[in-house]
Amino acid sequence: MSVATPYHDREAIFSFWPRHNETLLKRLESKDAWLSTRRGIEVSRVEDALEHEMTLNIGPQHPATHGVLRCVVKLDGERIEKCVLDIGYLHRGIEKLAESKTYQEFMPYTDRMDYLSPYANNVAWCMAVEKLANIEVPDRAQWIRMIMCELARISSHLLWLGVGLMDAGAVSVFLWTFQGREDLYSIFDEVSGARFTVSHSRIGGLATDLSPTAIAMIRDFATRYEEIIKGWQKLLNRNRIWIDRNRDIGVISKEEAIELGLTGPNLRGSGVPYDIRIFEPYLKYNEVDFTIPIREEGDCLARYHIRVEEMLESIRIINQCLDRLPEGPIRTDDAKKAYPSKDEVYYSMEGMIHDFMYTETGVAPPKGAASYHAIESPKGELGFYLESDGTGCPWRARLNAPSFTNLQGLESMMEGHPVADIVVLIGSIDPVMGEADR
Amino acid sequence: MNSTTGYLTTTVDAVVNWARSNSLMPMPMGLACCAIEMMAFGGPKYDVGRFGSEAMRFSPRQADLMIIAGWCSYKMSHAIRRVWDQMADPKWCIAMGACASSGGMHRCYGVVQGVDNFMPVDVYIPGCPPRPEAVIHALMDIQEKIRNEYSVTQDYTSGQKEIVELSARPGSLTVEGRKVALDASSLADA
Amino acid sequence: MPETLKFHFTPVDEARAEEKNVHEKASTNVADTVEVLQGQFPGAIAKVSVYAGEYTAFVKRESLLQVCTALKETLGFTYLVDLAGVDRFCEDAPRYEVYYAIVNLDTGKRLRLKVLVDEEDAVVPSLTGLFKAADWNERECYDMLGIRFEGHPDLRRMYMPEDFAYHPQRKEFPLLGIPGSLPLPPRVPEGELTMDPFAAARSGSPAKSYQEPKGEDA
Ligand code: SF4
Repeated sequence: MSVATPYHDREAIFSFWPRHNETLLKRLESKDAWLSTRRGIEVSRVEDALEHEMTLNIGPQHPATHGVLRCVVKLDGERIEKCVLDIGYLHRGIEKLAESKTYQEFMPYTDRMDYLSPYANNVAWCMAVEKLANIEVPDRAQWIRMIMCELARISSHLLWLGVGLMDAGAVSVFLWTFQGREDLYSIFDEVSGARFTVSHSRIGGLATDLSPTAIAMIRDFATRYEEIIKGWQKLLNRNRIWIDRNRDIGVISKEEAIELGLTGPNLRGSGVPYDIRIFEPYLKYNEVDFTIPIREEGDCLARYHIRVEEMLESIRIINQCLDRLPEGPIRTDDAKKAYPSKDEVYYSMEGMIHDFMYTETGVAPPKGAASYHAIESPKGELGFYLESDGTGCPWRARLNAPSFTNLQGLESMMEGHPVADIVVLIGSIDPVMGEADR
Repeated sequence: MNSTTGYLTTTVDAVVNWARSNSLMPMPMGLACCAIEMMAFGGPKYDVGRFGSEAMRFSPRQADLMIIAGWCSYKMSHAIRRVWDQMADPKWCIAMGACASSGGMHRCYGVVQGVDNFMPVDVYIPGCPPRPEAVIHALMDIQEKIRNEYSVTQDYTSGQKEIVELSARPGSLTVEGRKVALDASSLADA
Repeated sequence: MPETLKFHFTPVDEARAEEKNVHEKASTNVADTVEVLQGQFPGAIAKVSVYAGEYTAFVKRESLLQVCTALKETLGFTYLVDLAGVDRFCEDAPRYEVYYAIVNLDTGKRLRLKVLVDEEDAVVPSLTGLFKAADWNERECYDMLGIRFEGHPDLRRMYMPEDFAYHPQRKEFPLLGIPGSLPLPPRVPEGELTMDPFAAARSGSPAKSYQEPKGEDA
């Protein structure tokens, strides 16, 4: 029998990442609490530290962390005194991967960034490349992209609502919202052939057109879910437990939100009217009629209201898009810039060569070109900064992930709240780790 | 003994395996996109409650089936392994999706190319993501695996392993080469 | 040979200036801001490049803090959207550049600054004092490229564990990583398993949870 190893023999101990944990703990000790530096509130009120203080580690495997977020908190009784977040448990270097892929090849990876709303990511990537290589997209494709982006927004917010409420203790809402997601999955399945990793958008257009069945399904969804979402509002807007758990939790003022760089519903919940759909309209957002819900309170309840109202606005946008969907091609008819249609590929030599060359090299934006394009994904500003070296692969693809910036704000948001609010806070800023960890 | 109360001869193993296989408590190690499909697998449409596994247990102490859904980075691998080590025996593991099985599309520096590099895996599910049906299939495979398990004692005492024919799925047990149907009628006339 | 059948996938060398980008946005037209900056800090902006209607101002490293302070305090660019490093690798020195995307929420303008950084002296002044949002982005940039940010309160790695010795976003780092640089868990855990994730960090003896039986090959 072997002898048990002494604890401080760090080489032999089975503890994950000893050096990493050491620095994490050191940071927690040395950190200034945001509350005391920023708002002048003295956080630590403990006389006898040994009596009340406790360091608690939550995650990376914890059901309420929505993935693999790790929070290390220092507690004073039940109050969080300081909090350090540790991310990177899903890091795979997506920016590095992009450098070895052609522009079109990289698209499936974007599905796996924010996997609650893959279509929005597809569109974000395609539009970034289209801007870099100056590719025009036919009208019909733009309208369809808009419909699908809004569906993606609904599906993301549905999951957020279900899981957020489940964290707060209401399991049945999760089942209802998942039913909604299943309906959306069948739409995506009909449109692209995959339940949620759709990869349906293409550079210069779309892979396939919407079938009449798909359009009927979307219409049906839009009509049915308007009622259903309003029903949820009826249930939750005046629900004592839900309001008590959310009101005045994680309050972020307007200035703080801007300084922390929050985006999306979290920023709008603090009263900053920043939405890329209005700020720099892409696709056809300047042609449809919709409003951006804004709240001033900046607490979890405001963020809840914004997301639910956004779902209703999305349905409004979808209805308008369906009414105005023009006829026409769905991909630009330029074989140097987009895939030729399958008819061309199968029945003409030239089409086949183009298809081959497009798969092999793809679009080659000019050397030294650099551009940034952002869309309003369900989580906030999702942008790609691309640099080209004149070949078919990006020289640098930078992903500006909304979840990453939002998580950064979470660290300061948590301080001063009881431990039980951690779950509500994480839920309310709605991070997706696949995106935050790149 | 009158004719209305019958009895059934079986082994302890058969009963234990039957019980275990029909009440697997999954520990959902939801890492990435596959976790969303895993939620769908537990959700209303696919309803894994039909297979007795709807009780997702987030504490390793209460779970006996770990479903690893998503790509596993080197940084995370230690945490996964830690949770796995904390689970009580007997335990099983499903590697869900291409990433957990082989690294999948994420062939890069941060991702472990398959979780079987650092822990045992019983069933691999291909697909990116696998549909919930596939996950249910994997669950049924695990159940079948459990039904065909022997306890160590029996292996040692009998000294020989019997070759067991694979039972037809689901609902029937194979014990010592015989099929035992687990329904009321067989109980009655036994 | 007709024009359309040429080998079209040859990389285009330079951007053609006369081509108008169809995706150009009014929000990125910040010529006036750049002019103001040039007037206010003569010599601070080495170069201004425009592509697809987007202005990029190359700021000298020494004057970055001044320029950003002016941008934030007088020109209204208060919202830092993105900050990242780029490895230019085979181009002529300097090797790295750090880019900043700053937004003016009131006028709806988006400006991009760039700072060139030498390989030997890869240090950039930190913007955390001005924009709190720069915190994690700078850490990420440090993790990925090894650029250090002077004055950053907490320059740890963002994604990779502290035990990792490389900066993966650099071009010379292989995509598949360096074998052995990130250890996997041991096959059979040595030592006691504990519930305390900070056991080694504290180097005290935490409460035991249970004793893992030793495997046969341990
Ligand atoms: S297999 Fe596909 S869907 Fe599953 S985690 Fe990997 S990338 Fe995501």
